[in-house]
Amino acid sequence: MNTNSNVYTVIYTTVVCVLVAAILAFVSSSLKPKQDANEKAETISQILTAAQFGEKSEWQAKGNAAVLDFYKQNIAEAVLIDASGNRAGELSAADAAVYGKSELKAQNYNVKDGKDMKVPVYIFKNGVSVIPVYGAGLWGPVWGYIALQSDLKTIAGAYFDHESETPGLGGKIKDDPAFRAQFKGKTVDFNDSKAAFSIVKGGAPAGKANAIDAISGATMTSRGLDEAINVWLGAYKAYLTKNPEE
Amino acid sequence: MEYINLFVKSIFVDNMIFAYFLGMCSYLAVSKNVKTANGLGIAVIAMLLITLPLNYLLNKFVLQPGALSWLGDKFAGVDLSFLSFILFIAVIAAFTQVVEMVVEKFLPALYSSLGIYLPLIAVNCAILGGSLFMQQREFGNIGEAAVYAFGSGIGWWLAIVALAAIREKLSYSNVPAGLKGIGITFITVGLMGIAFMAFMGISL
Amino acid sequence: MNAKLKETILNPILKGNPITVLVLGICSSLAVTVELKGALVMALSVIVVTGMSSLICSLLRKTIPNRVRIIIQLVVVAMMVILVDQVLKSFEATFPLDKQLSVYIGLIITNCIVMGRIEAFALGNKPIPSLLDGLANGVGYGLILIIVAFFRELFGSGTLFGIPVLSALGYTNNGLMILPPMALILIGCIIWVQRSIQKDLQEN
Repeated sequence: MNTNSNVYTVIYTTVVCVLVAAILAFVSSSLKPKQDANEKAETISQILTAAQFGEKSEWQAKGNAAVLDFYKQNIAEAVLIDASGNRAGELSAADAAVYGKSELKAQNYNVKDGKDMKVPVYIFKNGVSVIPVYGAGLWGPVWGYIALQSDLKTIAGAYFDHESETPGLGGKIKDDPAFRAQFKGKTVDFNDSKAAFSIVKGGAPAGKANAIDAISGATMTSRGLDEAINVWLGAYKAYLTKNPEE
Repeated sequence: MEYINLFVKSIFVDNMIFAYFLGMCSYLAVSKNVKTANGLGIAVIAMLLITLPLNYLLNKFVLQPGALSWLGDKFAGVDLSFLSFILFIAVIAAFTQVVEMVVEKFLPALYSSLGIYLPLIAVNCAILGGSLFMQQREFGNIGEAAVYAFGSGIGWWLAIVALAAIREKLSYSNVPAGLKGIGITFITVGLMGIAFMAFMGISL
Repeated sequence: MNAKLKETILNPILKGNPITVLVLGICSSLAVTVELKGALVMALSVIVVTGMSSLICSLLRKTIPNRVRIIIQLVVVAMMVILVDQVLKSFEATFPLDKQLSVYIGLIITNCIVMGRIEAFALGNKPIPSLLDGLANGVGYGLILIIVAFFRELFGSGTLFGIPVLSALGYTNNGLMILPPMALILIGCIIWVQRSIQKDLQEN
């Protein structure tokens, strides 16, 4: 057979492409539920770590089912908040529905313009509320969760993740427990004229309650995370300063 | 202003070679003299300029989650993003072949000086990398994608011409036997990379 | 095992190493060598992808039309890469591994080693030797990756696989080792060492 004829070339290419697309579509659709379940358990374990229910690595070892069970037992409610701080919906606690990275990414535009925003707050039975943050690091997106005590000012803990920051430098926002630990006990202060919370290059001034030290050698990642935190905190400002107890 | 910022950033700060090390294979292989390096650099600029906006449209109207909504509401939930690698690379490979044929037919002089480097471009990571970065960074419109493509291309061209010039001079130097050729080139590129890090963080 | 098969397997690991001798697949070797863990995962996935794509392309070698062979090869490679990615993502045990790998997965497609071995070997040889050639090249690539990652993690972060080694002895981390240009310089040094031992590889 002449494998160089035009007809053969066109037919061959078409057949190969269709075949490959079919295989991939089949594999992708049949594995999708499992992948989504993994993704969800990952997100929830990050939220739990931020809220100081154990460490991320421990949750990973316990497996997806344990993560979901624990979340369902301890969550009071997961509400969606609009730009004026009002409740605009709810995420089903029974299904352990959460906003993953892609939803946060989609909301990031709305958060920036302050229009049509609908962002989640995860309120646990022990009074801790967890809010997400999302922004751009040096190479790619950085995102994470900040847990606030019931006064909605004091930070209980935090967890951050990133797509492609340099391991050992910017990657420390995720990998270095010491960086995360700095957040514990700090406060969010909307009365601060500069920023509600800041990550300071060269070290936070002593005694400043709403600032932590940046990672040395990772200026751009720290700056990106600082911006992500302040943009998202700004979006939640109306909700956080409303004092929901009243 | 936005465009100028993006342009300058993609040349110096996000330089394909020195910041991301994309397109390294042909970068090291085809940088022995300035003339051929110049030819390959221009070919890369051209291919980025053609394929990146095209892949941008493909991503926006076919691949993104919900991108097919223009076909009707029924398609709004379709997510074809798992096909993006394959479609991007197919567009790049197809266009490499098309460009090769067009240049051969209409610009034979250019073809003879450039021709052999064109097929190399299909496997140049810088081209696919450009498209993947474009997808990741979610440019607002096709203009931004094109400016980014042009800037990245210029950055790549600049890097290869600079290396070729250094290598031409290096051939007169007394390099240890084991480092001759590719060894010293690696080290040179490493030092150039360190120099380019000075641009990091610049924004206009 | 006959001598020719043995040659097929051993050659890519030492004398014809894809990174240090053929200078292929540099892009990804720089990005993933900051930590041993990432380097190991990348090495394993590349071994799988090179082996399987060489096997498939070798099975198809008599039917592929010459003019579109690059596109067909790229489609096969891209398919393998996406399959590896999708499978890794689906199991609870491998999901964290995929997270580690996700950034570099696109880079495997344009990893010149994969395409290079298909072009140079799989298209002209029977399936079994092609599979072995693909696997062996993956191993040769992985070996360099791990050597570079060993030094970069040890001196850059003072740890190995995340376990403190030098940092436990009061070593101050050398931040320069973590920066990408150092990977190039390290590969340059590996080439120097290799070529000082195997004098026949030296260039003039």
